[in-house]
Formats: sequence, C-alpha cells, structure tokens
Amino acid sequence: MSPVPSLLLIEDDDAIRTALELSLTRQGHRVATAATGEDGLKLLREQRPDLIVLDVMLPGIDGFEVCRRIRRTDQLPIILLTARSDDIDVVVGLESGADDYVVKPVQGRVLDARIRAVLRRGEREANDAATFGSLVIDRAAMTVTKNGEDLQLTPTELRLLLELSRRPGQALSRQQLLRLVWEHDYLGDSRLVDACVQRLRAKVEDVPSSPTLIRTVRGVGYRLDTPQ
Amino acid sequence: MTQAQGGVRGWAAARKGHLSRLRFTSLRLRLVVVFGLVALTAAVSASGIAYWLNREAVLTRTQDAVLRDFQQEMQNRAGLLRTHPEQYELQRTAREMATSSQRFSVLLVAQDSDGTDISANSGALNGFSLQDVPKSLRTAVNEEQKVDSNNKYAYHLYWQRVVEDGTPYLVAGTQVINGGTTGYMLKSLEPEAKDLNSLAWSLGIATGLALIGSALLAQAAATTVLKPVHRLGVAARRLGEGKLDTRLQVSGTDELADLSRTFNDAAEALEKRVDDMAGRDEASRRFVADMSHELRTPLTAITAVTEILEEELEAESGSMDPMIEPAVRLVVSETRRLNDLVENLMEVTRFDAGTARLVLDDVDVADQITACIDARAWLDAVDLDAERGIHARLDPRRLDVILANLIGNALKHGGSPVKVSVRMADHEVVIEVRDHGPGIPEDVLPHVFDRFYKASASRPRSEGSGLGLSIALENAHIHGGEITAANSPEGGAVFTLRLPRDASELAQEGEEKKST
Repeated sequence: MSPVPSLLLIEDDDAIRTALELSLTRQGHRVATAATGEDGLKLLREQRPDLIVLDVMLPGIDGFEVCRRIRRTDQLPIILLTARSDDIDVVVGLESGADDYVVKPVQGRVLDARIRAVLRRGEREANDAATFGSLVIDRAAMTVTKNGEDLQLTPTELRLLLELSRRPGQALSRQQLLRLVWEHDYLGDSRLVDACVQRLRAKVEDVPSSPTLIRTVRGVGYRLDTPQ
Repeated sequence: MTQAQGGVRGWAAARKGHLSRLRFTSLRLRLVVVFGLVALTAAVSASGIAYWLNREAVLTRTQDAVLRDFQQEMQNRAGLLRTHPEQYELQRTAREMATSSQRFSVLLVAQDSDGTDISANSGALNGFSLQDVPKSLRTAVNEEQKVDSNNKYAYHLYWQRVVEDGTPYLVAGTQVINGGTTGYMLKSLEPEAKDLNSLAWSLGIATGLALIGSALLAQAAATTVLKPVHRLGVAARRLGEGKLDTRLQVSGTDELADLSRTFNDAAEALEKRVDDMAGRDEASRRFVADMSHELRTPLTAITAVTEILEEELEAESGSMDPMIEPAVRLVVSETRRLNDLVENLMEVTRFDAGTARLVLDDVDVADQITACIDARAWLDAVDLDAERGIHARLDPRRLDVILANLIGNALKHGGSPVKVSVRMADHEVVIEVRDHGPGIPEDVLPHVFDRFYKASASRPRSEGSGLGLSIALENAHIHGGEITAANSPEGGAVFTLRLPRDASELAQEGEEKKST
C-alpha cells in the first residue's frame, strides 16, 4: 500500500465528480476519476487503486453491477455513493459486496473519514494466529485459511472476523461491531453488519444457511464459536 | 327477541336493539296505523249499518206478526166475553188466547158483576201480572180517545219493548171496544235477540279479519317501500366509509328507482372526483420527491466545495478579503440549511408515499439518548434522568431523529435546562422531554405537529425547516408509537414520546402489506 492512498472515483455527474475530486485531493488522496462504469472498470485494471468510491446511478451498467463485477475477481474495498437513501438501494448495494455506503449530499470530511476507516481495516495489528475448527486466522500474515486453502476476504470481512475472533464465544452487538469494524458512530446502519456477516458466512462456513462458526445471538448480535 | 340475560350489559344491549328497531320501523308503524284506521272505519260503519238494518227488519217482522195475532185473538175471544165476566170465564179465555201460534202470554183484566177488579193470565210465563206491564203502557191502553173522522176507534193497541233480567220482551195491550175487558200480552224476544247477537259476533269477527288483513297489507306495502330505502341506507353508509365503488341495482321506473339512479350518479361523480384529487395529490407528491432528488445532485457538488471554503475560513482567517469573508460564511451556513431542508423534504415524501421502512436493532435507550445529546454538543444543556438497561427493539436512526427534534425544539423555544426522563410502562418505553420555557399557547398546542406551522406570522424566521416535529411524529407512528404535547403545571412544555419495546411485529406487517 502506498503512503498516499490512491482512489478511483466513478461518478457520472460532472459537478459532483469535480467537487469530490477537489475535496478528496485536499484531504490528501490521489484521485483518479471515471464517468461511467465501463471506464471505471478499465481504469481499475490499469491503475490498481487502494479503494473505489462508486456512484450507484450510472449510465450504462449501474453501480451495483460494477460492484458485482469487481467482486468476482477482486477484494478491494468499495464505498457506494448513493443519491437515494431509500432502504432498498442500500440493501442491494450491500448484497452486491460494498463495504460501506454514504448518502448524497455527502460532506467531504465524512467521506474521507469513511475511506480512512475502510483502509485501516487491512492493517495488521497483532502477530498471532487463532484456530476455529478448520478455520485458521493468521493475524501476522492477515490471511485466513480453511482446510489449508486461502480464503479471499475483503478487508472489511477480514476485520469483522478478527474482531469476532478476538473475543471467542462472546456475543457482540451490531452497534459494537459497527464501532469496531466500521468505526461508525452510534447511528451506524446495522444492515452493514448483517450483510457483511452473510458474505463472511458464505466464505467460511461449511453450510452457510446453518452456520456453526458465526452464530446469531437473538436480541444481541453475533458470536464466533469453536465448533464442537 | 333478545332474552333478558341479567346484568346491565344484556339489558343495555336489549334496550338498544329495541330502540333501533323502533326507529327503523317508524315508517312501517305509521303505515300500519293508517291502514288499520282506514280498515277499522270502513268495517265498523259497514257492520254497524248492516246490524242496525237487520235488527230493525227482524224485530219489526216478529212484532208485526205477534201483534196481528194478538189483535185477532182479542177480537175473536175476548170480544165475546160479557162486559162483567166471571173469574173462570176470564181465565179460560186467557188460556185459549195463549194457544195461538205465536206463543205469547196473555193477561186479561176486567170487572165482575160485583164491580171488583179481576184478572187472569194464561200461566205460560210465570206470574204475568199487571206489575209486569209498564205504567205508561197501561195508561195509554186505558185511555179512551175521541172518535172522529181521523180516529175510528176509542181504544188502540199499544206496544212497548222492555228488558227484564237481561231478556228482551214485547209487551202490548188493548181494550175491547164496548167490552170492558183489557188484554195484555207478553212475548219473549229472546230467539231474535240471540240471532242478532250471533250476527253482531260475525260482524265483529269480520271487522277483526279486515283489521288483520289491512295490517298485513300495510306490512307488505311498507316492505316494498322500506326495502329499497334500507338498501339505499346501507349503500350510503358504505359510501361514507370510503367504499366509493358502491352502486345500487336499479330496477323499475318508480320514484325509488329514480332515487337509486340519482345515488349511483352521485357516487360515480364522487368517485371520479376523489380519483382526480388522489391523482393530483399523487402527482404533486411525486413532483416533490423528484424535485428533492434533483436538488441533491447540485447540492452534493456544492456541499463538497463549501467544505473547502470552510476550511479556508478556519485555517487562514484574516488572509481572506474582508469583503468576501462574510459572503463565504453565508454560503457555507446557508448550504447547510439547504441540506437539512432537502433532507427533511425527502424524509417527508418517503412518509407520504409510504416507502419509509424500519431498520430495527436492539438498543439501550439511555445509551442512544446520551449519544444523541453528545453528538450535538448538548450535554451541558440537557439534564438526563435515565438508567441504563432499558432495552428496546427499534430503529436507532429514527429514534435519533425524534430525540434530536424534540430536544432541539425544547432548547430553541424553552431554553435550558431541558429535562429528559425515560421510564418503562407495560410494553412501552416512555421518554419525556420537558423544558423550562413559557410553555405552548393553548391555541398553538393542537398545531405543533403541523408541517410548516409557525406560532405567529410575525415571529422571526427560525432555524428549523418547519418540518421537525412533524417528522418526529411520523417516525413515532411508523414504530407504532405516539408523541403528545402538553404544558406542565409547573410551567414549560412537555413532549411525551411512547414507543413499543418491540416494533418488529409492526415492521413485519409493513413488509407484508408492501409485498401484497
């Protein structure tokens, strides 16, 4: 990771693109921009940015589709920029693999904070490993293996698993997880946690529909168990 | 009918049912009464006349026959008696006279040769004596009248009807001209009276039947009128309940069919009008929703750059042109206001369109309130009385919107300290926000939750969008909760928010409604 984070901003509206580029550059990011999803995907292959800020409403292929295409091959963090805070949009966005979302009109400072929080998730912080059944979490290498195979996790999924594994057997509420993983204040959207847990289960559980590792604790939140 | 069940409820229900039935049938009742009266008048007058004519005919015929017979007997037998007959002669004649076909009793009165009054009766009726003959009749019989061209005889036959012990009798009497013997007869009219009685009975029964028939007819007539009226009533009620597609089946060409047709026309016009209005309403809502979406795009760009301007103001204050600095400040602050306004507008359009959804989470209410106050730097101005550990399942973002609006409003209009208290009641979380201001004027109280309601037109433009309390209320409603505003007796306004502890059932219902 380069010392100055490089971002790719995909946004079709000229004014917003220019304004956000101005603002983010001022916050100390290197910003590349694209006006369509197709251009964005091309730029992504050429430049390998650290993070993508993606508008949902795009001409041609929309933001959700761009998000899904990126996720097929890549685990790099994606923040959705949604003009509508209509609930259905957020849910679709999170299901398509986004790590976080911000609602327009967004303040540059807020977007910057989110970007930095997402980027921090990939930083290592301890030098040990933990084993949960067939799952091995190597905190030194920041890798997760299942039955000896490397799992491709996004930084957010990895951070969520790390936070859960740090307190095995202890239930963490959605709000706690939002603070720990997303660094959101008390008004974080709990659906971020739910969507991320779903994606994580799909990767680490043997049968995602009947999880044995990441358990739901009704009325509280989630808990990581060692399978019996 | 309703059976008496004991207990006030049963009684009240029976009473109510009875009353509504009476009211419902009042037209029916009137029809029956009118029909009954007409039938009664007709039947009674017809029967009365028939009875009277019959009675006269029967009595006259019987009476004429009897009197003719009696007269005949008097001439044939009593006329043959001497002027002063002996007792036994009188007796024999009386008996002979009574044997006539008409079966009347006879009483003969005369003076014997000694000048004493003697009398004899036929004996058939027990003790027919002079006492049984009315005095007026005796006087008339004994009175000798002048003989002239108009009146050929000195004595006449007189008769009278009397009733003795409930039995009607015909009494008649006459004197033999130049004979001195006076004869009376007594004839029971009982058989005739019985005939007339049975006639009266039959007429009475006929009248009764006519009354019953008229009542049935009235019922039938009332039903033919009232059934369509009832149907019309039911349809009108349905229409009033908002079922605007209610129509009546029109049959026939009478006034009621006309009325039904008018009703249908009115309902159709109403439906069309309501549809038009709903369409226009929908269009204007969509316009507001689209407009606020459209406003967001330029606003996003502006917001992003105003921040750069703001940082410039903070970082290098003084370096900016003093003429431009206030202009930049104005742009920055007004952009923030515009942001809030558009945000609120979008929130309102979502509520109006019914697309607002709950995102539920389990939260500690006290933590939420603390965080809400903390995030807005109100900690010094708010006095929080809440214990941790009150958990509820609700939408934290919406709770924050409600709290921010209630507390913000209290701080703005009431002034600090604002007291916020939380308590549990049954399945509800009750949050009270009380300020120490002048309270809300009584005439404003019902309108505090109205959109863009300003307490007075002359009041200075306030910071808020005018939508805050309305949005707070909508957010409470979507949880199945409520907000009420009142004035505390100790002064200051009190807003009470009640939210169910678990709003998940309501959220599910909303989802189901959406999917159907």
